[in-house]
Amino acid sequence: MTSPRRRAPRRAGAADLDLFEPSDAPRVVPPPEPARSYVSELIEHVGYPGESARSAVTVSMLTETARDVIEGAFIPIWVRGEVSDFKAHRNGHWYFCLRDRAAQIRCVVWNRDQFRIPAAPDNGMQVAAFGRLTVYAARGEMQFTIAKIEADGDGLRRKALEITRARLEADGLLALDRKRPLPRFPRVIAVVTSPDGAALHDISAVLRRRSANVRLVVVPAAVQGASAPEELCFALDQVNRWGGADVVIIGRGGGAHEDLWAFNDERVARAVAACRVPTISAVGHEIDISICDLVADVRAATPSAAAEAATRSQAELRGELAQLSSRISSAARAVVRASADRLRHLARDVAAASSDHVASRRAQLETVAGRLHVLSPLATLARGYAVARGEDGSTLDSVAAFRDRMSFELVVHDGVVPAKVTRPRKESR
Amino acid sequence: MTTFEQRLARLEEIAAELDGDRVDLSRALELFEEGIENLRAASEDVARAEARVQRLIERADGSFDLDESDD
Repeated sequence: MTSPRRRAPRRAGAADLDLFEPSDAPRVVPPPEPARSYVSELIEHVGYPGESARSAVTVSMLTETARDVIEGAFIPIWVRGEVSDFKAHRNGHWYFCLRDRAAQIRCVVWNRDQFRIPAAPDNGMQVAAFGRLTVYAARGEMQFTIAKIEADGDGLRRKALEITRARLEADGLLALDRKRPLPRFPRVIAVVTSPDGAALHDISAVLRRRSANVRLVVVPAAVQGASAPEELCFALDQVNRWGGADVVIIGRGGGAHEDLWAFNDERVARAVAACRVPTISAVGHEIDISICDLVADVRAATPSAAAEAATRSQAELRGELAQLSSRISSAARAVVRASADRLRHLARDVAAASSDHVASRRAQLETVAGRLHVLSPLATLARGYAVARGEDGSTLDSVAAFRDRMSFELVVHDGVVPAKVTRPRKESR
Repeated sequence: MTTFEQRLARLEEIAAELDGDRVDLSRALELFEEGIENLRAASEDVARAEARVQRLIERADGSFDLDESDD
């Protein structure tokens, strides 16, 4: 908002400026002179208006004349006093008194002028009010018609902040669990700010320094002045409708406290909350936190800090890639190593298994061979026995098998001996 | 077109799968090759540093345009 002092002369109205130099002493304007003929006629018959009972003026004429005098006498001025009897009427206008120890004056703030005042004043507040002195003819009262109010200690702004904050809080817009994480690698950053402000310059300087691979898309809006809240809301709405941004920075560079006021506007706060992509608020260099900061997903102290929060430097990204690269290589190496180990184990198992098999076969063979050996007549022969076989190979196992002079063979363990029956057979028993 | 962020996400997946218990050798080599390809592309993305400044323009029909700003 522009300074009231700069605006004061314009609000005074052209006529006031042309006719009067602002001065400390109120100037009284003489009532307009009636036309000559009418005046001379009037004076001739009844005397000057109000001079006698016969020439008495009406109440309306009195108050209207008083209004002309009073309203013509004062340029708009700042008046200091304490607020009392405050009433916000159903018709939207505010009524109260400004008073000091000795005097008071009735005051009104018309509905249409209230947008310039952050919040309604409270009873007991010390304020400076800017307005013009008027006469309310219907009641025959003087009335101070106020256009701006500034409370001591910025009380009205603080009150407005508290009200806005409470309303946003009631709607859950300040809840921490609403905060969205910023995208890790945004490609498009929308910046809602003044296209020729310091904020944009600072942000693009940071991105250049970090050699970040991002596009900045400026969505222009006035960041101070009466139209700023609406323009900021409109720009945020454009970002939503466009849909091309990964993250939004809303903010401005540092400035006077009142220059940052648009970022405390409830409409702006709600527009930030309604943003479809994560938001970073970066309002001035103030230690005071704006309402916009409270609603945004991330609050940055300055526009430069916002740019840093939104992006990663090339060095950071390279570091990240290097880390991933070594993680993947070592994991792949580990898999290869594990496979090789498994293969070695398998080979050993196969080898072990096959040698076991052979041994058991051999043992089996030996057992069988042993048994065969026992059964073999050769073993008996080896003990000194002999087997007699006929010429046809039949075993001659009784006396009756032998005939006189018969040739046969004796099989002993290491060979065959030819033999012949030379004596008569003799049966035992 | 694959974005840098998508590539990084894929790389994380690859690393996680390679770190897991049940990866056979051929799958591991397949993942490794894919990982190397993604790393190469991502590095190219990083190197392509272009901090462009554009201005959002809304046309009368409600569509949007980007204008190169001379910032």
